[in-house]
Amino acid sequence: MQKKHRTAPINKVMSLKQAVAQFVQDGAYLSFGGIGDRSPTASVHEVARQGKKNLQLVSDTSTSFVHDSILIGLGLVDKFEIAYNWGGIWGSDEVYRRALEQEIPHRIEIEEYSNLSIGMRFLAASMGLSFMPVKSLLGSDIPVHNSKIKIIDDPYTGKPVALVPAAYPDVAFIHVQRCDQMGNAQILGHIGDDDSLARAAEHVIITTEEIVPTDEIRRYPNLTCIPYYCVDAVVHVPFGSHGRGCSYYYAMDVPYGNQVNKAWATQEDFQRWAEEWIYGVNDWEGYCQKIGWDRLMRLACIEQRYQKYGEVR
Amino acid sequence: MTINSEYASDYTLMELMAATMAREFQDMETAFVGIGPPLIAAMLAKFTHAPNMTIAVEGGAIGSAPRRLLTCIADSTIDERAYSCLPMWRLFGDQQRGFFNVGLIGAAQIDRYGNLNTTAIGGYPQPKVRVAGSGGGNDIGSSVGRLLIMMRQEKRRFVERVDYLTTPGFLSGGDSRKKAGLLGSGPAAVITDMGVFRFESDSKEMYLASCHPGLEPEEVRANVSWDLKIHPDCTVTEAPTREQVEIMHIVDPYGLYLGNGRAKMADPEKGFDFYMEILENSYDMMEQLFARKG
Repeated sequence: MQKKHRTAPINKVMSLKQAVAQFVQDGAYLSFGGIGDRSPTASVHEVARQGKKNLQLVSDTSTSFVHDSILIGLGLVDKFEIAYNWGGIWGSDEVYRRALEQEIPHRIEIEEYSNLSIGMRFLAASMGLSFMPVKSLLGSDIPVHNSKIKIIDDPYTGKPVALVPAAYPDVAFIHVQRCDQMGNAQILGHIGDDDSLARAAEHVIITTEEIVPTDEIRRYPNLTCIPYYCVDAVVHVPFGSHGRGCSYYYAMDVPYGNQVNKAWATQEDFQRWAEEWIYGVNDWEGYCQKIGWDRLMRLACIEQRYQKYGEVR
Repeated sequence: MTINSEYASDYTLMELMAATMAREFQDMETAFVGIGPPLIAAMLAKFTHAPNMTIAVEGGAIGSAPRRLLTCIADSTIDERAYSCLPMWRLFGDQQRGFFNVGLIGAAQIDRYGNLNTTAIGGYPQPKVRVAGSGGGNDIGSSVGRLLIMMRQEKRRFVERVDYLTTPGFLSGGDSRKKAGLLGSGPAAVITDMGVFRFESDSKEMYLASCHPGLEPEEVRANVSWDLKIHPDCTVTEAPTREQVEIMHIVDPYGLYLGNGRAKMADPEKGFDFYMEILENSYDMMEQLFARKG
């Protein structure tokens, strides 16, 4: 399959503005990683701010209000490959509903999978393969409406099995807790499909809560689920997944999502929200300023009362 | 049945649902659980009759022991004091390999054979009402040992045939599930705010197994779109015990799932302080519960 370019063990630290400008073209096939927490929300906002358009997005689970729906509501997305896109405890996603029920702001093509089968698509690509078999999807309406999924008789057992195509995004955005300058990225807590995604994508932009010395990475190398050779850019973005949480660093901001849910009630409301929170600030630091550093610190303190890296709580 | 003092006299319908669902879990099982009321039910089981049950959530965490209420299948809470945190596909791979005895999820629609819809109501791909999509629902329904379902009882939700089959139950009944190549044994029970439903062993059709206190089988049947079968031994659902209600009040003291606590959090003025208060108070209460029952 496609040969991924390999990056060198050099300093890759840059700004998010620079990384998005350099690696994301109009029409790009993008994936924003994380699942629930470690949402790369700062990157979603920056892609929106730079007005990248005609995007194709692929995700396993996307969390409304901090993830793919922002770009869908802004009319920047043409196609969406997805297993789940909703608000969970934050409530229903009116942007997503308007897009699919009423083609507002315009029609998007949708290609649906389950969480595991999207995971298999990234896993296939992470190993340079073109597909992966899975025992999900069988008997459901998902393959009925998605011709990319093939149901075949397993050549070894003769029993039905579903095949899903590899997904090779042009660019993946992944938010992590710790990363060194060359891109050795460590994730604490659940990993989602980010280890596969980092290998599947042609270019990878890591945003990180902390940039740590390589000697610190070397202390617990098992935590490095993304090695430097996958990574093109390293960006220091504290509180980069605010709204959602970041294990060991800060807790999910549940009231924030409940309030954004209300702010997305109509398309006009949504546009006003985006004007204020995305276009009305220069960068993620501007967003944090607007949210309030004291609020962010309270979320960090409460998370670390329950779990803090390297300490019993 | 023993004397009534064992049973709570004061409980809500949501608490009855969660307590009833808790009884479906067995000790020593590994359970794949969705967030919300399903999680309350699973934690309740763990703090009562199933202390050695392990809860896994699809974000990728196994056996967490959090001292705060989980708000998502993938928030930082699921990592708290977990046995293991994995990539998501790895957790689902464990399920496909057969490690998970039981799974519990919700749905927007269900049909006669226990198939679930969490994708779209009224047409596809441009539906009348769009909802979340499969997430891990299809995977859990496909491969978990036995599937438990928790949902609201309404005629428009209990339909002859789901508008979109997101998660396989018994497909068209009989042996159709097996023929499709699915691994898990399919739905075992559906618990709603009106009753408990199970499935016939051959036809795989859903039937009413018990009605919640105060309801007659015919009232339940009136909230189902097909001609629902009622088991000849249809009983009255067992009420929650005092201990079950007490533990639910510790696990979800502000009624985020079992009451109206979520509405309070959306308040732009006081919502954040309320949320911080929940998190600040949870630690000590849960530490005590773990010390007593964990």
